[in-house]
Amino acid sequence: MVKLAAKCILAGDPAVGKSALAQMFRNDGAHFQKNYTLTTGIELLVKAVSVPETSDSVEFFIFDSAGKDLFSEMLEKLWEQPNVLCLVYDVTNERSFNNCAKWLDKLRAQAVGVHIPGVLVGNKTDLVGRRVVEQKQAQEWAEKHGLEYCEMSVKEMKNFEAPFHILAKSFHQLYKEKVETFHSLA
Amino acid sequence: MRAADWCLSSAGAAVVLATSSDEQHPAENMADGSSETFWTTTGMFPQEFIIGFPKCVKISKVTIQCYLVQTLRIERSISKDPVDFEECIEKDLQHTEGQLQMEEFPLPDFQATYLRFIIKSAFDHFVSVHRVMAEGTAENT
Ligand SMILES: Nc1nc2c(ncn2[C@@H]2O[C@H](COP(=O)(O)OP(=O)(O)OP(=O)(O)O)[C@@H](O)[C@H]2O)c(=O)[nH]1
Ligand SMILES: [Mg+2]
Repeated sequence: MVKLAAKCILAGDPAVGKSALAQMFRNDGAHFQKNYTLTTGIELLVKAVSVPETSDSVEFFIFDSAGKDLFSEMLEKLWEQPNVLCLVYDVTNERSFNNCAKWLDKLRAQAVGVHIPGVLVGNKTDLVGRRVVEQKQAQEWAEKHGLEYCEMSVKEMKNFEAPFHILAKSFHQLYKEKVETFHSLA
Repeated sequence: MRAADWCLSSAGAAVVLATSSDEQHPAENMADGSSETFWTTTGMFPQEFIIGFPKCVKISKVTIQCYLVQTLRIERSISKDPVDFEECIEKDLQHTEGQLQMEEFPLPDFQATYLRFIIKSAFDHFVSVHRVMAEGTAENT
């Protein structure tokens, strides 16, 4: 039984629903914040999830970042030594999808030479009529950039735990691979 | 006086603190005299461990066998309890792909009841520490 700890960077454009996701996940779906309060700086939330089919778990230290800080240098300090990435966009906002490349570049620059497991998350699927980014398009982009993909509606409490389960699995897998490597050294 | 490795559980040393624990790769593996067994870190850095000696010992060289460790700091205490640590050395290690890092720290003779190792940063998400040695002689008491 092992409890891993992962620094999880939660990133994406303003108002895509990052804080809504983080709050919902931490409170197990107890509360959806309808009014938008933009995040300034970073908010830290801690929550553990168990890894399916094992007795292991991953404790996430979620760094909920401010969307308006895409070009701020302060982020670089706060994002040091990341373990996993949760990159959110809004399926009704094309610009938020296009900016994912910039967010990803910024994260990868923090960890040159280290593989950072990541998931691209399309949020607000409840706004069916306003959707502009198609699932196929986003999924292909994610694949091309080595990210997992999922969609959710934090508002309808749909699938909001999926990103963290995906990340827990990937991070746990990384740990197992590393331990194999350590075994082969002696 | 005979030279000895004080970081052996068979010599009475014990790991009194480690910030990560995987029961398959426990911290005791660093003090069992074998490079095959190891302790793994399981998450974010910094990570640390403290080794306690059965008495105050004199140390002239510290050696660590590890993997993927980047910045390492070693501190010592001469207190009865693991408190009041002072720095011995801090160093950035080289990455050695596919091979254990074997780092020797020759130090001016010093006394210690505890050694604390702080892994401040790493080349990957996780590191392993296979063996720690502290060579020196027993203090006359
Ligand atoms: N319709 C709909 N609205 C949502 C959903 N998730 C979040 N919202 C709303 O979107 C707005 C922005 O949500 P936040 O979570 O504050 O956005 P953010 O990404 O943290 O924004 P910054 O902190 O500025 O980076 C809020 O009004 C939320 O209520 C969703 O699934 N569907
Ligand atoms: Mg926010």
